[in-house]
Formats: sequence, C-alpha cells, structure tokens
Amino acid sequence: MSQAIGYSTTPPAGSSRFSSTSLYSTSQNPSSSTINNNPNPNRRESARSSIVPIQQQLFGGSTTQQQGNVNILDRSINKTKNAEIALSTWAFLFAEVISYSQSRSDSIADLEKRLSTLGYDVGQRILSLILLRNTQTSNLKDPKREHRLIPILQFVHTQIYKYVFGKPADGLERSSEAEDEYMLILNESPLSQFISVPKDMSDLSCESFTAGLVEGVLDGLEVPARVTAHWVGDQYPDHPQRTVILIKLDQKVMDREESLGK
Amino acid sequence: MTIHGLWVISKAGGLVFSRSYSDILPPQPVNTILTLAGILHGIHAITAKLTPTPIPGVPVGGLESFEAEGWGGKVFLTPTGTKFVLLHSIPQTGLDDLMKRIYEIYSDAVMKNPFHTPEMPINSSLFETKLQTLMSGVNA
Repeated sequence: MSQAIGYSTTPPAGSSRFSSTSLYSTSQNPSSSTINNNPNPNRRESARSSIVPIQQQLFGGSTTQQQGNVNILDRSINKTKNAEIALSTWAFLFAEVISYSQSRSDSIADLEKRLSTLGYDVGQRILSLILLRNTQTSNLKDPKREHRLIPILQFVHTQIYKYVFGKPADGLERSSEAEDEYMLILNESPLSQFISVPKDMSDLSCESFTAGLVEGVLDGLEVPARVTAHWVGDQYPDHPQRTVILIKLDQKVMDREESLGK
Repeated sequence: MTIHGLWVISKAGGLVFSRSYSDILPPQPVNTILTLAGILHGIHAITAKLTPTPIPGVPVGGLESFEAEGWGGKVFLTPTGTKFVLLHSIPQTGLDDLMKRIYEIYSDAVMKNPFHTPEMPINSSLFETKLQTLMSGVNA
C-alpha cells in the first residue's frame, strides 16, 4: 500500500473527502503542501510507529527498492523547483484542515488564529527557500536580502506571491489613516477560491492562512507585524472574492525606518 | 431552447438544491418540489433494477430522460449516487456537455467547501453564482 504524499486511490462510492483525510493522517504538518511541493524536514517527528512503511521509505535507503529512491533529507532542494500537484489535491486538503480546526476551536477568532499559525510555519520555510534559490541563481556567495521597509514589502508583493500563487499580488497600498498600516490586495485567491463562507460566519476569512504566511515571511525578515485578512468582496461587485491582507507594523519598525531614513 | 430549472437530489433521495431559471414553467411551492424529487428518485431506483442483462464494465443506470409536451427532463447520475435533473425545453442540444459542466461546478463549489455537510441542502453562494452565469449564457 503506497502512502506517499500526493498519491492515494479514491474509492468511487466513498465520500470525496477520503483523499484529504488519508493525506492528513500521514503528516501532522499540513502546511507542507503548498502549490509547489516542498520537502518538509519535520516529517521525522510526525511519523508514527504504526506507519512503518513510511519510515522505511523515507529513511531506510535502498534495500529492496530501485536505485533512484533517495531518502527525503538527501534530495537536492532544486529537484522540486518546478514540481506541480493538482489544485484539487490542495483544495481538499485545505478544506479538511479548516473543518479539523473548526471542530477544535470555539470561536471565529480562534479558528482564524489556528489557520494563521499554520500559515506562519509555511511562511518561514518559504522565505528560507526563496532566499536560497535567489542566491543560487545569481551566483553570489552571500545571501542578499532587503533591509528597508518598502523594498521588503515589494519583495513580499512580487516574489513571494509569485512563488505561492503564480502571480504577483494585485495591489500594495498604504493605509491613509495610519502610517504603520499597509495592505496587500488579492482579487481572487487560488488558495481559497472554492470556499464560500455561510452567512452566520461572515466575519471569517480563510485567507488568514495567507495572512499567517505573510507574517512568517515578515518575521523572518526582521519586520515584526500583526497581519490579518479581511474580505471586502461586497464592496467591489466586480471582484466578489477580493481579500485584503492588512499588515500592521510594530512601533520599533517605524522607529528603525525613521533612524535609517534621513 | 431554454433551461427551465435544475434539481440536485442526494444519494438518499432528498432534494438538496432546486432553482428555476425561466418563467415558462409555473412556480411550485417547495413542498411540491420535494415530493416530485422523491418520486423521481424512486422511479430512478426502479428503472435501475429493471434494466435487462447489463453490459459488463458499464455501470447500471436508471431513468435518463423524460419528455412532456414542449419540455423535458434529463437525469445525470454521478458515480456517488447524486442525481442532477435538468428541466429543459424541447428541442435542446448540447445537454450532455451542459450536465458535465454543472457537475464540474458542483464538485468545485460544493465538494471543496469545508462548510458544506454532505447530503445536506446546498447553500453556497459560489455555487449559485457560477450556475447563474452558466445558465444565463445558455438561455441567452
């Protein structure tokens, strides 16, 4: 029985959620599935003793298997650079993540916080991976990253969004009311495009996963901030799925910008 | 060449979705539609049992379409037992393609929605919006 991530046979008469629950049971870290399939170094902690075949497959080397089956920690990072999985796989996994979190949380705020924590872990890993790949492609010896606030926000806006969603965000704006608030706008998020929230939970935005992702990236770049997601589709009838990621920067970031600025 | 309405019947025979897209057929109270859907589910089950020796490899299906004066209905059975009943005017072409697209919209908007309980009435605004776009494209 092969339980490799991303492949599972679905029985035709069963519920359509089968594939996502079996994916979830093999890895306690659902944030490992982004649109591009990244190897997750934490899988060692999450493998349970009842899933011995998985452990053999990941760490057992090549006793009875073919030559090409290297264990996951030795694989080259660039091997999965252009790897793709089906969007439906992600959609089912994310739907199950949401209903799993919902059954364990008491309120909308708690649910958003859980999704945000999951996204945070993804953001941290994505940041390291992107910086590494940028360094490799430009052949520099030292990793290069931005220090100032506006280039950092632009880095998130173009590169990170391009890596995760396939295209840069639709807008980066500065809020007119407060100096330390910025907004990233996405008209149609591929992560949660199939989800429609019922009326009694209209405050919930499943984009809190994306908000957590942005927060993880910003924290890694030494820009602590509070990031939340808000759905504004009802104000824009052209884009009924429009979401705004609101970034509220910490005071010490603003102080640092001032002292570095002029 | 208009689509009059769409019903979605769950595996157990209960109506989970009904919407009408034209004014030709008179509007029915919800209870009537529930009863009609239940009757259709029963007829479908009976016809599935009555088919002659099935071709091996082809799943046994039941009622596929019915016609009245000037309008008809087409039934599409999914592998999981959900039925899509499309009420349309006669003559109508391209029904199979339309049913497939409806099924696609269903599996996107309803099945991938974590807030939908299976076999329960569908109330997803995304599903309705996408269907509305599809139907207005066909009815125009």
